[in-house]
Amino acid sequence: MSEKPSSKALSKKITEEYMDEAFRAHELGKLVGYTTAISPVELFVAHDIVPIYPENHAVANLTAKKGAEICSITENLGYSSHLCAYARTDLGYRESGKTITKGIPEPDIFLACNAQCFTLTKWFQVLARRGDLPVFVFDTPEHVMNAAARKEIVKYCVLQLKELIAWLEGITKKKFNYDRLQEVMMYSAQSSILYKKFLDMAQYKPSPISIFDALIGMAIAVYRRGTPECVEYYQTLCDEIDEKVQKGIGVVQDEKYRLYWENLPVWFKFSDHAKLLASYGAVILTSLYVHAWSLDFDLNKDPLETLAENYVNRFSNSTIEDRADMAVDLFKRYDMNGMIMFMNRSCKAVSFAVPTLKDILTKRTGIPALVFESDMGDQRFYSETQIRTRIEAYFETLDSLQRSKSA
Amino acid sequence: MWENLSLTEVTELAKDPYPSIRKWKKETGKTIVGSTIADVPEEVIYAFGFLPVALLGTNKPLKKAPSLLPDNACSLARSNLELALSYEGDLFDGFVLPQVCDTTQHLSDIWRINFPNTYVESFLAPRQVDRESARYWVKEETERLIASLSARFNKKITDEDLKRSIVLHNENKALIKEIYEVKRKYPVSITNKEFFSLIKLSMQVDKAEFNQTLKKIRDSLEKKEGEGYTEIILTGITCDPPEIFDLFDEIKLNVVADALVTGSRYLQGVVPEGNPLDALAERHFKRGFYSPIHDNVYKGFKELKALFDQYKPKAIVYIHIEFCESEEYDMPDLKSMIKKEGIPMHILSTEFQTLSLSHVRTRLQAFFESLKGGTL
Repeated sequence: MSEKPSSKALSKKITEEYMDEAFRAHELGKLVGYTTAISPVELFVAHDIVPIYPENHAVANLTAKKGAEICSITENLGYSSHLCAYARTDLGYRESGKTITKGIPEPDIFLACNAQCFTLTKWFQVLARRGDLPVFVFDTPEHVMNAAARKEIVKYCVLQLKELIAWLEGITKKKFNYDRLQEVMMYSAQSSILYKKFLDMAQYKPSPISIFDALIGMAIAVYRRGTPECVEYYQTLCDEIDEKVQKGIGVVQDEKYRLYWENLPVWFKFSDHAKLLASYGAVILTSLYVHAWSLDFDLNKDPLETLAENYVNRFSNSTIEDRADMAVDLFKRYDMNGMIMFMNRSCKAVSFAVPTLKDILTKRTGIPALVFESDMGDQRFYSETQIRTRIEAYFETLDSLQRSKSA
Repeated sequence: MWENLSLTEVTELAKDPYPSIRKWKKETGKTIVGSTIADVPEEVIYAFGFLPVALLGTNKPLKKAPSLLPDNACSLARSNLELALSYEGDLFDGFVLPQVCDTTQHLSDIWRINFPNTYVESFLAPRQVDRESARYWVKEETERLIASLSARFNKKITDEDLKRSIVLHNENKALIKEIYEVKRKYPVSITNKEFFSLIKLSMQVDKAEFNQTLKKIRDSLEKKEGEGYTEIILTGITCDPPEIFDLFDEIKLNVVADALVTGSRYLQGVVPEGNPLDALAERHFKRGFYSPIHDNVYKGFKELKALFDQYKPKAIVYIHIEFCESEEYDMPDLKSMIKKEGIPMHILSTEFQTLSLSHVRTRLQAFFESLKGGTL
């Protein structure tokens, strides 16, 4: 009997097969649809559209420290350096072909869902103009704190999902298959439950995973949800982490600080930050961002309704008050005693909430926050010395707090 | 209070309308509801007997806003937040804040959290405009706004109230359009600053009163030909700080057409006849959009090209309020489309708190000098 592949091997295989299919999409009679990481991609999957996420491609380049180089190509085209580093990396790649990967296939259609941000809509519009390609904007009004309004919002979103299906049928000249959608939804629901289970393993002490594991582990949920291989991957991953839990293996064995992270990561400082924090006995456990794909589909409902409900209520489309509630829930469940609030110049959609969120969270938890400003991908906005000094000072504060508590 | 104003008084009030609104509130005892610009149907608020006031930023220093919205946020959003937090917040009985982009979405939240005892409602404008569902949604949101105002202020409105409000608002726009016609032809009759102050103040004071002023101004305009004027088209969201108009006037530029939100995009908002709720929804899609998120660049380009062909000005001046992301994504393509047509365009990037306009003056002068020399 052959040995079960590891999650790492599975992830590699799934990604390779996915990209292979994407590059051969036309040959296979399929279309390539660019979409946002938070979008009802289940409809694409059910209709045999290969989803491609230019954000993911940008992340690969930003993690490899190519941000400043590729972004400046875009700026030379007249785009502001204040725009999202994902968008600038992507536009620079289109202009120069520069990438550390094999690149991504060209788009046929676009689906932008503004529950994530509306930057993607504008970025997709730029790309669409180059080939005169169709863009569908799935508009998700803010998930306001009013039960009656929420019902109306879901109704509006269901109407749009029906429009989206008609749009896909018009483009592909193929009838949409609702039975197939049910199947896709089932896979998506199963993998989402497993993905959440994986993230929640950070509740153990010591935590067997850090946010950096979560950021690596989330990739398949982003680009392969709605498929059986996605379910298999998260089952394998959960089994592996479970084994660590059983053996008491932690990311940092003598865990002193269990931290919350707000925002996307600084991709090019990913491993440096993990090492630096570990030297203080600290581990970042989670963020609202990684939980964005902890979807909670109700398979007993009309699939369009449960899709609408889930994509509208993501953290990035929730009020600041609701974001605070979600974060406080994580603080309690994961027993965290520190927080890093990152003001990410690139991501206005997440960052403009950060100062207010920080005030609410520090008040509600009594835990001080480390706030720093930088960029998730453009090294030109990153100051190593400043951030190191801040981190040092922050742990001194936490240390003295702990001392005074124990005294 | 606002029915018999001279152009000089209008310009003064447009610069800082709030002391006058305070006085009016004291005298009339009426409810004041503020809205940031973009898509809130002011006719609805007015129909309740309230005064809808468009919040158009402040030139006073930023004190509290920078700690809530970082420096790469839209300058208008920061300026409006400051206006409410530090200067005029207590004047308002409530706010209806539209959400049209990521920044305005966050702004509503931050506003609500900072005004816990004041009525703060969001108007969730659709962020797609080409499909039937968008029409459905505008109507839905307008109905929700009416229900929300009714519940909060314990007051009901009828279709007749709405219709009366619509007639008054339509009249306001018609009057300004008449004045615009005169301005185009006779730039001596009214300066750029005066004309755009009329629009700005219309968005902030009681129209029943202000329409009287508009009629008197319209009737008193001296139709005198001017010499040495260069005709231009102005585009952008707002033209701020307002001293930019002084520069235009100083170097004798005549704005003959525009696509500003505090300009023609407001004037386009005439509500058609018929069932008022349907008509308000129809208006939403008929006018140029308030938020550049909807400005499909082709549409923006066509609009500017049509204005250029109709009025044959010398150039387009684009006022870019930093840091509007939508504009920043659209601008390179829009610029190249306009350049391809051989239309000269000058982009001015400004912020609401800009104190010195010397760099703007130098660049404007250089642009128009080179235009005369034909070197563009």
